Amino acid sequence: MTTLTDRYVDATLRRLPGRQRADIEKELRTAIADAVDDRVEAGGDPAAAEIEVLTELGDPSRLAAGYADRPLHLIGPALYHDYTRLLAILLATVVPAAAAGVGLVRALRGEDALTLAGDALSAAFTTAVHIVCWTTLAFAALDRLPRLRPGAARPWSIDALPERPSRRARYAELATLTVVTVLFCTFVLLTPVVSTRSDAAGEPIGLLSPWLWQTGVVYAFLAVGLAGLGFAFARHYARWSVPLALSGALVEVAAPLTLIWLVTTDRVLNPAFVAAAGWSPDTTRWIGIGLVAMSSLSLLHAVTDGLGQARHR
Amino acid sequence: MVNDEQLSTHLQELRRGTVVLACLLVLRQANYGYALLDLLEQRGFAVDANTLYPLLRRLEKQGLLTSDWNTDEARPRKFYRTSAEGEQLADTLGRDWDALDAAFRALKGRP
Repeated sequence: MTTLTDRYVDATLRRLPGRQRADIEKELRTAIADAVDDRVEAGGDPAAAEIEVLTELGDPSRLAAGYADRPLHLIGPALYHDYTRLLAILLATVVPAAAAGVGLVRALRGEDALTLAGDALSAAFTTAVHIVCWTTLAFAALDRLPRLRPGAARPWSIDALPERPSRRARYAELATLTVVTVLFCTFVLLTPVVSTRSDAAGEPIGLLSPWLWQTGVVYAFLAVGLAGLGFAFARHYARWSVPLALSGALVEVAAPLTLIWLVTTDRVLNPAFVAAAGWSPDTTRWIGIGLVAMSSLSLLHAVTDGLGQARHR
Repeated sequence: MVNDEQLSTHLQELRRGTVVLACLLVLRQANYGYALLDLLEQRGFAVDANTLYPLLRRLEKQGLLTSDWNTDEARPRKFYRTSAEGEQLADTLGRDWDALDAAFRALKGRP
């Protein structure tokens, strides 16, 4: 007879933080027992009374949510609109781009139409799953950490209204940055397996130096890039603060510095690929110069942007 | 015509805050969960157990109620009592209720 109550109490406590459990369990068990006793004293059957009492208490997850004072949603109304909009933008741009990219590489390698279509579709599917998964995860985290959101720390005032064009422009910038980062990461991660040149055994020759993979530097570099994207989102949604600005600036500076270091120590391009493609030393030098110039520009941008944002607070 | 589901939602929203006030008033005399449920119902405040039990803990966490475990009987019971702060809030809420009541009467055209 007690197993139903045990199961009900377990189902409720399972959803609660550990430190609350013992106290709530004692109170809940007493309350259930009191209610059952009441019905039995009034002439009810004990088993039926237990079922009645538990049914009246209702779904354990709702009861637990009441105790935990916790939302029963993943992404709340404050963020829902931004969430669906960003998701739609990402899905509409990155998924076709990934499919087209994979299809193009397959076509360049002379694969037949069926393999081409299959690979493109599977790339599109994988990309879509990743986009949905990570975007949802990020927004769910944002929903659960209200401190990261604007308006949480100080009361809303009319000054908090966003400037119309600049906010929209920043949103577009954010979306572009996301697309570029995702495409860049995909490109880098695909280079060892997808290449326009192959060796004698028919294996693809990666464009980028194998040293990057052996040492894991490539993953660290991509992680820095993704962290930079994360900080861009944080800056968009969170209130400006010194720790956030400093750590964001550090990450933003880290990526170009690493790239400059890699270029100057000749660790970007795969010598085997350069040889197979028949590139002249001049070509590789210009690629190096181009990368250093790009890195310097983004360093400059990080510094001026950081100073500009700090000045506006 | 308002359907049943809408009606119950509206009633629930209208009554939500009144349970807090009723609890603060009733608990000027210490009581435990199940007995309080019974007492509130007798006094005309129908409230579900799964609303009341979490509510008591929330009010306790906010310092509006104090609590004591009574382990003298076979079953340990958590007794809640309205704190001084809770008493103050009950005062404020009670005045607000009276003001609302007067305002509604005026709206409906009765003195």
